[in-house]
Amino acid sequence: MFPTPIEKRSRAAQLSYQSLLPLALILWLLPLLAVANFSIKPESDFVNGNYWGLPSSFDLFANYGRVFFESNMPRYLLNSLLITIPTVIGAVALSAMAGFALGVYRFKGNLLIFFMFIAGNFVPFQILMVPVRDLTIDMNLYDTKTGLILFHIAFQTGFCTLFMRNFIRALPFPLIEAARVEGVAEWKIFWYVVLPLMKPALAALAVLIFTFIWNDYFWAVVLTQGPDAQPVTAGITEFNSQFRAAYHLMSAGSIVAALPPVAMFFLMQKHFIAGLTLGAVK
Amino acid sequence: MKSRKTTAWIALCASTLLAGPALAESHGMALSGDLRIISDMSNPAPRAVMEGMVADFGEMHPDLNIELTIVDREAWKTQIRNALGANPPDVVNWYAANRMLPYVNAGLFADVSDLWEEPAFEALASTKGAMTINDAQWGVPYTYYQWGIYYRKDIFDELGLSEPTTWEEEKANCQAILDSGRKCYTIGTKFLWTAGGWFDYINSRTNGYDFHMQLARGEIPWTDDRVRQTFANWRELIDMGAFIDDHQTYSWQEALPFMVNGEAASYLMGNFAVAAMRDGGLTDDQLDFYQFPKIAEVDYAEDAPTDTFHIASGAQNMDAAKEFLRFVVSTENQTKINAGDALGQLPVNANAEIGDDKFLQQGFDMLSNNASGGIMQFFDRDFPAEMASFGMEGLQEFMVFPDNLDDILARLEDARQRIYK
Repeated sequence: MFPTPIEKRSRAAQLSYQSLLPLALILWLLPLLAVANFSIKPESDFVNGNYWGLPSSFDLFANYGRVFFESNMPRYLLNSLLITIPTVIGAVALSAMAGFALGVYRFKGNLLIFFMFIAGNFVPFQILMVPVRDLTIDMNLYDTKTGLILFHIAFQTGFCTLFMRNFIRALPFPLIEAARVEGVAEWKIFWYVVLPLMKPALAALAVLIFTFIWNDYFWAVVLTQGPDAQPVTAGITEFNSQFRAAYHLMSAGSIVAALPPVAMFFLMQKHFIAGLTLGAVK
Repeated sequence: MKSRKTTAWIALCASTLLAGPALAESHGMALSGDLRIISDMSNPAPRAVMEGMVADFGEMHPDLNIELTIVDREAWKTQIRNALGANPPDVVNWYAANRMLPYVNAGLFADVSDLWEEPAFEALASTKGAMTINDAQWGVPYTYYQWGIYYRKDIFDELGLSEPTTWEEEKANCQAILDSGRKCYTIGTKFLWTAGGWFDYINSRTNGYDFHMQLARGEIPWTDDRVRQTFANWRELIDMGAFIDDHQTYSWQEALPFMVNGEAASYLMGNFAVAAMRDGGLTDDQLDFYQFPKIAEVDYAEDAPTDTFHIASGAQNMDAAKEFLRFVVSTENQTKINAGDALGQLPVNANAEIGDDKFLQQGFDMLSNNASGGIMQFFDRDFPAEMASFGMEGLQEFMVFPDNLDDILARLEDARQRIYK
């Protein structure tokens, strides 16, 4: 079996593994640790050049207090939720249906449509920036949450459909045939047979899309401005004044902004593992 | 008939504007309809200031429906042309001097020379030149801030130095500072613009304001001997080792610790640096300010980036727009919006009061009384955007590799011939 489990390797290999792992972990987490460290420093540390040392005073409460009570952060967080959740629901629902159609029915152009979904994933979204912005302005959706949601759904559905279609393809087809023989309506097959089987895929996809959309910065900057519609990723820069970057507040804000996807992952971990092992242990 | 009455009212109001808020009620009678404003004051404090101004103005003119849109400050730099082109608002934010040239030339800004002829506008004399193109004025200023050399007074005292007024004194001071094991100037040129400040000052002190502006407008080749003289003066400092090492890797904020920790004695910067230095623990006893010293016998020109309001030439409600501009520059409003708890900058109106802050007071005095050469808007505002970006790259390269000067100037000259065509 590859890779050989670490317990079965030589003692030397085990030792080097045990010593290198924490090292690699620290190296990998260094930027995050730095941000966490920055977030409890007072502003004067940055002017004094104390970037990496210990904070000169412990300002956790002051910094996070300002993030929560003296800025638009709560509003931005709410915007992020109001943008992310409808997008997750919309993209997953649409792609589940599209994936069902593409995975179960044989019709002319099935493969062509599927390829188009895939091809859509290969379009770098930066080149869509100008047309999409113009489109949202023409539709009066510029600087609205609705505009951002609709765009995200449209863009994420391509990837989700690819994911869903392949997952449905891997389901045992006789289940669907059996239902058909019983004379079950097609939508009922989707609802009562296929959808329950797709739960792990739905959960995994939902977590994935949640983090994608929550972390989206590009479209947030292109399509929205100001605290009425902007999500937290773009809103963090509000801590900067015209001339100065407030590193400590931006760091605190970033940590707060990063918590929901992390929490989401831990809450949904079970589904992740279920999704990963689904095919393996049959 | 009614419109004539309105005009009469406005004329009356304008002539008595100095009387201020006592007449607010009567102003209100005159204006009605919509006033659409697009502002780029998007950072939190300026945003509050802008919203406050609109609220105050709205209170003075209850029949006027003011529609304020606040656009991201950076985004506005690319959006303004679109916004002025189709369905323009009445009033917009922009910047003074060469930055407004393209919009003036394209006929997108309205001529507001008539406002500047009103007695109340005499108080704005310091920026009149910066608002003037083709002998007409195209907007009004609402705030600016001074540039100059901020220095560690305690280090100067320790070494027995005083504020220099000439280039020789400046260099002598610098030598003394270097001999004490410190650097003369901290600077962070990672984002290039800070080097522009040094060029503005050395060039305008060497060749005068008019020459500097001609260069900015592309009327003088970069390879001109007078430009070389500027760089030669600058090089004297570079060759002394006056600037901190590796400055090309720091942002302006990251260069602050050198000053705060006493490794460098001074910083050529805008007044916004003071707040940061105070946060870093420097007291007003340790920190002081002096005007950039004289080099050649030319009048002092000062960098004081000025933020402005303009009326779109396609404005629908010209009366209200002009009245708003009058309101913006009024003594009372300028005092209020530039106060320490608002913008914390300098009012342009010479009659306005400034906060109890020695740097603001020195700056206000300097700009109002000792900047007879003219007010520069800073390198990246005076030069067209593309030229400024080439130019600042060249300036940074010069500061790191002064021997490349010929090469740099040839490149900038190439750019000039292409850009100003």
